[in-house]
Amino acid sequence: MKIVMDGKEVAAERGQTIVEVARRNGVYIPTLCHVPALEPAAMCRVCTVELAEGRRSRLVTACNYPLRGDAEIHTDTPLLRQNRKVLIELLASRCPGSETLKELAERYGANLNRFPGEDKQCIMCGLCARVCERVGGNVLALCGRGVEIRVDTSFGRLSPTCIACTSCVQICPVNAIRFEDVDGERRVIVRGKEAARVPLRRCASCGTHFGPVIDLGPVLERAGERGVPAFNASICPACSRRNLARRLAERHFEQHAVEPRDAGEES
Amino acid sequence: MATAISTVPDLAWTKKISSPHELAEYRQALTASMDPDAPCIRVCCGTGCKAVGSLDVLEAMRTAVAAAGIDVKVMPEVKRTGCHGFCSRGPLLTVQPQGLFYQRIKPEDAAEIVQKTIVGGEVLPRFLYKPPGAKEALAKVGDIPFFAKQTKVVLKRVGRIDPFDIRDAIADGAYEGLAKVLAGMTPHQVIEEIKSSRLRGRGGAGFPTGIKWESCAAQPGRHYVICNGDEGDPGAFMDASVMEGDPHAVLEGMAIAAYAMGSDRGFLYVRMEYPLAVQTLAAAIRQAEDLGLLGRNIMGTDFSFRTSVSTGAGAFVCGESSALMSSLEGKVGRPRAKYIRSTEKGFRDSPSNLNNVETYANVPEIILRGGQWYTSYGTERSAGTKVFSLTGNVHNVGLVEVPMGTSLREIVFGIGGGIPNKKELKAVQTGGPSGGCIPIPKKFLDINVGFGKLAEIGSMMGSGGMIVMDENTCMVEVSRYFINFLVEESCGQCTPCREGLTRMRETLSRITEGEGREGDIEMLEEIGQFTNSFSLCGLGTSAANPVLSTIKYFREEYEAHIRDKKCPAGVCKPLYYYEIDPEKCTGCGVCRKRCPAAAIEGEKKKPHTIHQELCIKCMECYKNCKFDSIKIL
Repeated sequence: MKIVMDGKEVAAERGQTIVEVARRNGVYIPTLCHVPALEPAAMCRVCTVELAEGRRSRLVTACNYPLRGDAEIHTDTPLLRQNRKVLIELLASRCPGSETLKELAERYGANLNRFPGEDKQCIMCGLCARVCERVGGNVLALCGRGVEIRVDTSFGRLSPTCIACTSCVQICPVNAIRFEDVDGERRVIVRGKEAARVPLRRCASCGTHFGPVIDLGPVLERAGERGVPAFNASICPACSRRNLARRLAERHFEQHAVEPRDAGEES
Repeated sequence: MATAISTVPDLAWTKKISSPHELAEYRQALTASMDPDAPCIRVCCGTGCKAVGSLDVLEAMRTAVAAAGIDVKVMPEVKRTGCHGFCSRGPLLTVQPQGLFYQRIKPEDAAEIVQKTIVGGEVLPRFLYKPPGAKEALAKVGDIPFFAKQTKVVLKRVGRIDPFDIRDAIADGAYEGLAKVLAGMTPHQVIEEIKSSRLRGRGGAGFPTGIKWESCAAQPGRHYVICNGDEGDPGAFMDASVMEGDPHAVLEGMAIAAYAMGSDRGFLYVRMEYPLAVQTLAAAIRQAEDLGLLGRNIMGTDFSFRTSVSTGAGAFVCGESSALMSSLEGKVGRPRAKYIRSTEKGFRDSPSNLNNVETYANVPEIILRGGQWYTSYGTERSAGTKVFSLTGNVHNVGLVEVPMGTSLREIVFGIGGGIPNKKELKAVQTGGPSGGCIPIPKKFLDINVGFGKLAEIGSMMGSGGMIVMDENTCMVEVSRYFINFLVEESCGQCTPCREGLTRMRETLSRITEGEGREGDIEMLEEIGQFTNSFSLCGLGTSAANPVLSTIKYFREEYEAHIRDKKCPAGVCKPLYYYEIDPEKCTGCGVCRKRCPAAAIEGEKKKPHTIHQELCIKCMECYKNCKFDSIKIL
C-alpha cells in the first residue's frame, strides 16, 4: 500500500485512518471533534482533505476515512484552506470566546467576527456526548434537530444517572462544561445549566468530601469487573495515603523493635 | 364526510398458491369471472382526490347504483382506485367499458351519472375535461393529451385496480414476474437481467440498480432488502401514488430483489405522513401472505421473504440511506459518518440493499419483458421511464410518467398544458429542495430530462419533483423558501450544513426584506460552495444548490434586490409597488371593488389610481385586471 501525503510517501498500515497516518508522520491536519480514544464522528468537518484514489479525486474527512489501498492525499490545498476558513468563521459565530478557534483562525486567516451571532458557548463537536456514552452514565446527548441541536440531558432535566465522573468537563475543547463541589454535592454544569447533582462521599476519617457516591447498578457492575477496582472506599485518598504511611512506619518500627520474623509469614 | 374506506377483503380462508403455475391458473380464473364489457366506475381515491372529497363521491356512487335498481344485465361495479394522476381536476372517475373520463364530480352528481351514463349510455358533457384553449370537450381518457402523451410502466396499474384487493392486481398481472423468477431463473440471471435493463435508482442519485444488487449479493451474512418510501420533497408524490395505488408492484419488486440477493427479510420505510400508503401496504402484505405470494415458502418453493412496514417520524433527512437505517434500527435518524457502503454494512451492520419505491416498482416489468425491452425507452445513459410530479404554475397539475429524455417542452406544454393566465414560463425547478432551478426562456426548454443532462446544467434529477414557475416567481424568494425548508430539516450534526444553511437563510431573508447589502451574493456563493463540498451526507452536499443555481442563472434578480431595492417579479413585499397604467385602464372598477384595503380610487370609465400608503400588496387587483393595466414597479 503506497500512501503519498502532500507529495511525500509516508508509512501507513492498512485500515488506519488518514489522521492516524498523518499524526504518525508529523503531518498537520486540524481537528476539533476528534480524540484518538473515541470512535470518530466526523461532525466538525474541519479535517476534510483531498483524496485521490485511482482516477477519482474527492473530499473526505481524515478522522474516519480508513485507508485500504494506494492513495494520494493533499492536506493543505487552497480549496481546503478557503473552506476551513469559512468553517472557522461560521463556528466562531456560535462560540466567539474559544481559544481553539482563535488558534485555527490565525492559521487560516479567518475573521472571527465576520458573522456575528448568539454566543452558544459550544462548537457542537459532540465529544462530551460521546465520552459520556463510553465512560459515564450516558447522560449527555445531542438533542433536537437542525439549528436547534444542543447538548443536553434527557428532557432537559437533572439527570438521575450521572456518576459525576467529569469526563465531559475534561474533554470539552471550549470549556463549556464545568463542575463544582458545594454542600456535599457535585454539580455538573453544562453551558450554565445544571445537568446533574451527585452526592459526594464523606471521608470517615477527616470528614471532607472527596468523590461522588456511585450507587448506580450498571456502573457498580462495571466496577466489579476484573481489573477494575471496586470504588467503595470510605476514606478520602489523602487519609488513605496518610493511613498507609502510618502503617508502613509502624511496621518498620515493629520490625526493628522486636526480633525478625520468617520471610514466609511477613506477607 | 366519509372517512373509512370500505373493508379489505379477507383472503385468509383461501387456499395458498403452491406453485408458479397455480398462480397463472388463479389469474385465469379471476379474469374469466370478470366481464370486460361490464360497466365499472373507477373513482379515484388517491390522496389528492380524497382531499377534495372523493370518498364522499365514492359513497354517493355506491348508493346511487344500489338505489337505481338497474335493469342492465351486469350490476355495475363501483371501484376505489389509486391516483389517476390528473390531480388538478379531482375528484375524478372513469366509466368503463366506454373509457369516459369525468372530472370535478360532486356527490350530488352521482344519481345523474348512474341514470344517464350507466343506464342510458349517454355522455354528460358538463363533466368532461376541456383542455385550455380548446373548443371541444374530450370524452375519453385516451383523447386527453395529459394521458395520451404519457408512457406508463410504473403507473401501469395505478388508477385501474383497487389497491385494497389483491385479486384485482393479480388479474392485472401482479406477481407474474415473481412467478417467472421462481419458476426458472437463478439469482445470477435476475441480476444480469436488471443490469441489462440499465435501470438506475429512482431516488435521486441514479446508481445503477443491477450493480448495487450484485455488490450486495456478493457480501457474506444475512441480507436485508429495504424500500425507501420516505418521500419528503415538497410537492412530490410519485412514491406515494405508487404505494397507494399499486402496492403489489413494490412488494413484488422487493421479493424479486430478495430472491436475487438471497435475503429473507425486508422493510418498507414509509413516512408517517402517508397514512393511506401505510394502510394499502399493510393490507397488501397481509393478502399476499394469505395467498402464499409472500412469507414462508413463496408459491411452494424454498424461497421465503417476510416484509413489514415501518413508519418514519417526520424527518426529511431519514430519506438519506444511512439515516434511514439508523431510524429503522430505532436510533436517532442522523446520517452516519462511515466510508462504507450500506450494501456492505448497512442495517444492523449487515449487507443491505436500499432502493426507492419507484425503482422496485420497475423491477417486475423488466423481469417479465426483459431488460432489452426496458432500454427501448429513454436515452443511452438514462433508460426507461420516470414519474414526475408536475406542480406549480401549470395547467395540468399531477403525476406524469414519461420516457427519460423527454424534453421539458413536452412535459410542461404538451402534457402540462402550459402556463395559466397567459403568463410566461420563467423556470422549472427539479430535484426537490436540494435541486436547482433551470431558467427556461434562455436556452433549456428543449433539453432532454435525464440524469446526466440535469446535473450538467446545475440541477438534478432527484426523486422527480418538478415545479413550474411563471414570471411572477421571485427566484430569491424561491431559494429562501427551499433553504428555509432545509434549515428545518437538517439533522444539525455537521458544521457546514447546520451553520452554513442558517447563515444563508439569514442572508436571503435580509435580501427579500430589502436589507440586502453589497457583497451578499459573493458571501452566499462562498458559503454555498463550502456547504456543498464539506458536508457529511447527501442532504448537506446538495443543500446549497437552490442558492447556487439561482445565483448562476438569475444573478441580475439578486442584484435588483440588493442594489435597486426592487423585486422584479413582485413577490417580496417591501420591494415593489403596484401602479395603474392610465393608458390601459378603462375604469371598469373591478380592482376598486376587489381591493380589500380600499386603496383604489377612481371614477367610472376613468383611469383609477392606487393609494400606495393604503395598499397591502395582496395582488388582488393585479390578478383580476382584464386589461393588463396594473404594473409591478
